[in-house]
Amino acid sequence: MAAELTQHDDRVLYLYGISELLPADLPQEIGVALAKIEAVECGGVVCWVSWVPGIDFERNLARNMENLDWLAEASVAHQRVVSAIAKQTEILPARFGTVFRSGTSLRQHVRGRTRHLKRDFERVRGADEWGVKVFGITMQSAAVPKIQSKVHSGKDYLKAKAALRPKRREAAGTDGDLKKFQEALNRVARETAKVGNISSGQRGLAFQTSLLIKRQDRKKLESVLRKFSESWENRRRIECTGPWPPYSFVSRAEGERSK
Amino acid sequence: MSAPAGTVIFAADDPGDELSLLDILDHVLNQGVILRGNLIISLAGVDLVYVGLDVILTSVETALRHIAASALPPQRE
Repeated sequence: MAAELTQHDDRVLYLYGISELLPADLPQEIGVALAKIEAVECGGVVCWVSWVPGIDFERNLARNMENLDWLAEASVAHQRVVSAIAKQTEILPARFGTVFRSGTSLRQHVRGRTRHLKRDFERVRGADEWGVKVFGITMQSAAVPKIQSKVHSGKDYLKAKAALRPKRREAAGTDGDLKKFQEALNRVARETAKVGNISSGQRGLAFQTSLLIKRQDRKKLESVLRKFSESWENRRRIECTGPWPPYSFVSRAEGERSK
Repeated sequence: MSAPAGTVIFAADDPGDELSLLDILDHVLNQGVILRGNLIISLAGVDLVYVGLDVILTSVETALRHIAASALPPQRE
């Protein structure tokens, strides 16, 4: 554990998240870019960081994020580190890809946000994030529309496939049951957040949300999911993932809405 | 993940092992990392994850293998 950071040439500080306390057992995970994880005390909180190559995480981040293999490795590493810390203490996860050029800039940033951080710790204290998705089950799989016209390239094929999609999503989207489901989840959750930037194109996806659930209310969440799952039986399937660190419930940057 | 209708699927108290990259990205990138994102999730106007689910699942397996392979005994510094 390093209280003082040593500057490395052409490396930047990757921030995983910020915790209030330093847990007794430091996480043994491997960080992004296979880097070592360090905990740095900073203005009364603990920042979890790694030194990573500036060329990958500062100059070429946008381009790298289009490379699925790179993105997979980095985001999985990020998730494992944040989750390992979250198992021991409250953590406010940083956005994936948050880097600082030096320990000084990290400290300045964190000290300037102390008030926001305190409020965010209160917001997520004792709670975990859970992801819930509902999929429509299509019974007439034999009648799934097929691409009829001849395609001449992969791009044509993708476009033709895309043209088939909206009908399916519209069909699954408007339903009083889903509204009741959402209301039941809202009653159990401390907060809800929109999620699904990435997976919104999944086949059959009819509903998706992210919930902040107090740990003692986990059974209530399970009970709601079971109840609806049983009543939907062959029409819909529910997938629930969690507990996640509270990725969707930390404040956005200044200037953005931070409910 | 797929299961018979009427069941609720829970994953995973041991994150990273059971979760799909899709779910990981959904949560990890939710706070709007710069989803230069149209580029990530869109290819020829089509959501990448829709057409590329197999690819994205393969990617997470490859990533996990790579990370595991790098889990050498910790070095003292």
